[in-house]
Amino acid sequence: MGNFDLLKVKGVSRRDFMKLIAATTAALGLPELIVPKAASALEQALKKPPVIWLEGMDCTGCTESAISTLNPSPAELILDMLSIRYHETIMAASGHTSEEAYQATLKENFVLVVEGSCPAKEDRFCMVGGRPFRKILIEAAQKAQVIIAIGSCASEGAGIPGACATGAVGVAELLRNEGINKPVINLPCCPVKPTTLIGTILYYLTYQKAPALDSQNRPIAYYGSLLHDNCPRRGHFENGNYLTDWNDPVQKEYCLILKGCKGPKTYTDCAQVWWNDNANFCINAGSPCSGCSEKDFYNGFSPLYAKQEIFKLPGIGHVDADTVGFVVGGAAAIGLGAHLIATAASGRLGNKDHKEDM
Amino acid sequence: MAKVVIDPLTRIEGHLRVEVEVENGKVVDAHIIGTMYRGIEAMLRGRDPRDATFVTERVCGVCAGSHGWASSLALDKAYGANVPAGGRLIRNLIIGAMYLHDHPLHFYHLSALDYLDVMAVAQYQGKDPGLLAVKDKIIKLVNAGDTAPLTPRYKPDDFSVNDPELVTMAVAHYLKALEMQAKAKKMSALFAGKQPHQSSIVVGGVTMLPSIQVVEQFRSMLYEQLDFIEKTYLQDVLTFGTGPLLPLAQAGVGGGSPNYLSYGGFARDDAGKDMFFKAGVIMDGNLSKIIPVDESKITEDVQYSWYKASAKGKTPYTEDTIPDLDKKGAYTFVKAPRYDGKPIEVGPLARMLVMQPKGLMDIIAKYGIKPGAVARHAARAYETLLMAKDMFNWLDALEKEMGSKDFRIHDTDHWEAPATGQGAGMTEVPRGSLGHFIKVGDHKIENYQMVVPTTWNFSPRDDKGVRGPVEEALIGVPVPDLENPVNIVRVVRSYDPCLACAIHLIHPETNNIKKFQIGW
Repeated sequence: MGNFDLLKVKGVSRRDFMKLIAATTAALGLPELIVPKAASALEQALKKPPVIWLEGMDCTGCTESAISTLNPSPAELILDMLSIRYHETIMAASGHTSEEAYQATLKENFVLVVEGSCPAKEDRFCMVGGRPFRKILIEAAQKAQVIIAIGSCASEGAGIPGACATGAVGVAELLRNEGINKPVINLPCCPVKPTTLIGTILYYLTYQKAPALDSQNRPIAYYGSLLHDNCPRRGHFENGNYLTDWNDPVQKEYCLILKGCKGPKTYTDCAQVWWNDNANFCINAGSPCSGCSEKDFYNGFSPLYAKQEIFKLPGIGHVDADTVGFVVGGAAAIGLGAHLIATAASGRLGNKDHKEDM
Repeated sequence: MAKVVIDPLTRIEGHLRVEVEVENGKVVDAHIIGTMYRGIEAMLRGRDPRDATFVTERVCGVCAGSHGWASSLALDKAYGANVPAGGRLIRNLIIGAMYLHDHPLHFYHLSALDYLDVMAVAQYQGKDPGLLAVKDKIIKLVNAGDTAPLTPRYKPDDFSVNDPELVTMAVAHYLKALEMQAKAKKMSALFAGKQPHQSSIVVGGVTMLPSIQVVEQFRSMLYEQLDFIEKTYLQDVLTFGTGPLLPLAQAGVGGGSPNYLSYGGFARDDAGKDMFFKAGVIMDGNLSKIIPVDESKITEDVQYSWYKASAKGKTPYTEDTIPDLDKKGAYTFVKAPRYDGKPIEVGPLARMLVMQPKGLMDIIAKYGIKPGAVARHAARAYETLLMAKDMFNWLDALEKEMGSKDFRIHDTDHWEAPATGQGAGMTEVPRGSLGHFIKVGDHKIENYQMVVPTTWNFSPRDDKGVRGPVEEALIGVPVPDLENPVNIVRVVRSYDPCLACAIHLIHPETNNIKKFQIGW
């Protein structure tokens, strides 16, 4: 049976399949040339990969985000691309039938997707099927062919749960604590971006290895550029035009730094690849970036709606820093200030901070 | 007597365990157990109050926007902010679009698999090309030996729909609804920044100053949603509810506590007098008597929850919040709210029984449908239609506002935190009545708490030992096969539980919400 026949058996037409590959390859920022190779590799691998998708201390927002994709469609994602064997929110099974599906999949060569944090110190803060989520996660992580942590909660820093008093940690930190040496691909953002998730899975299936990662184990393809450097409002930042009144049409596109924007400290492709089928993203909606793709989110970036440090912008604009800023401690704020000063002083953009970050 | 445990109870938001005792094929006792706790309210203490809208937004990613909205309503009051009409309307539209997302998703993707024998698709004999494609797809999945996530499942039972025509149509609509829920999130994101976890709603209004192009894009997407809701979603619910599932509907399986609460929500005027959802309380199933909501009648018990009991003489706003995982007799992270001392249901059925729209009441009367799992689906579908229709009026109102010279979306004068303040944001979100309560001191959050819909519905026993609404709804539910407790999950899912929300309550120190408010 040829590869394409195998595809057909899976209920996927070649045309649909190529469309899917092309869309996700584009999302990954890879050249079109790769499409035939990706398609061929996937056809050979197909077998849709079995997926165990665990939810810990989560809000199901990452699942909701994954199925907010329109290209590929959610049905293509759930039924054509992946074989989702265990996913509490999607699967038909409940109770013992879901447990059986989980156990059976553990014996296969499966992809592990983790959404939500794990309580590292008190197991009873998250129990599933009568077992500590921590133990389930470790068990699945040890057997998985690849581990993908999605959303800020499962990534380094553990997002909002990481700021709470339950001892919540991300997947990689949990495995480090337990002495388990296994790499984790982190896809932070609150929630994960569907393009990032789908692209990473496709990349992995195509090459059978993780894409190039940065110091926080995030794929550089999605987390390699500083939001501030790609911000559509960057020109206003340089000119000292800072939004102070959301009602003022003149200020509509102004820089949001005074509203607490963390763009100068945040590596994400939000400015290039918008959310919800390219409908919008926070800054375009006039909302300051919260830095949700960074390990310092949330605790290190709070307060979110206040400019976080005093900085001087030599030769720029009319804003008196003393009248607009608050001083807060912490490395995040210092890093943010240092970046702004460096950029403003040198007058250039560039990615050098990213290298330091790594 | 046999014990049946369902854990994890899937296709809901969050982690839920259900334990029931079965005697002679029927449930005689039930315990509903929330098994996860994050502790978000406690974490908010001492922070910039504006962070609350952002952080609590992330309590739940399914009814995304709901908590951010309720939080902003609480903060508006604490800050003394006057949200301009533009801000109010855009907030309504952001959340309204999420109703269009949530309710069909709940029906098709979270619930329908409990009622459908999906494999009946293979028997489809019709000629509809769309349905034949669905048949083709399912058969190929079966032949490939990989029907995840549609299987495994509980075995179909007597109530399962196995008519090939109906099932194939439902599966086709399952796929269509997957696309529509993504489009509804996109609609919401047009004003909200993104979904899930919109960024636009902040204290005082919203951050997105809309263009007329965005408004028109929203409108055209709303037409598509309305078409789907009217012709597909509501029709499917009625086809099933008055067809194969009519015996379940008429028997009122999963009826639960006959008390219903709606805070009201979606202000259509600046004064907040004209609300889309009406406020009201129904006690003991007496639909002819809609009682005004009296906040002082809301109390909460924690005897069966993993939290330390209230220490006397302290107001909750000054107390610490302490989970007590070793507490004897406790079995859940969910607390037990009560209205006038009684368990009470919140959500679409409660809202529709308070509002009593003629179209829905006629259907209920015509078919003799009793409150229960099927009625809950019908109420949910009907309110989705009402919502979609009213959203056109909100869009018109917004467009009119945008035409005025001083069009505003935000109260800029109340952006910085007051030294002190307090406020309650009580509104209706897809799963029911939601309340956020904030107290501000020294420009910081002194205390924060949420009383969420799933806490009302999925509460444990109260201090008097009276079961919560869902626990009560499970009593008498038939479980002929202990290995296949499909009726249990049908009833539980009909409430559209969101456990990530429910387990956030961490003000165990008190039994009385009103006391908090006096304490302010």
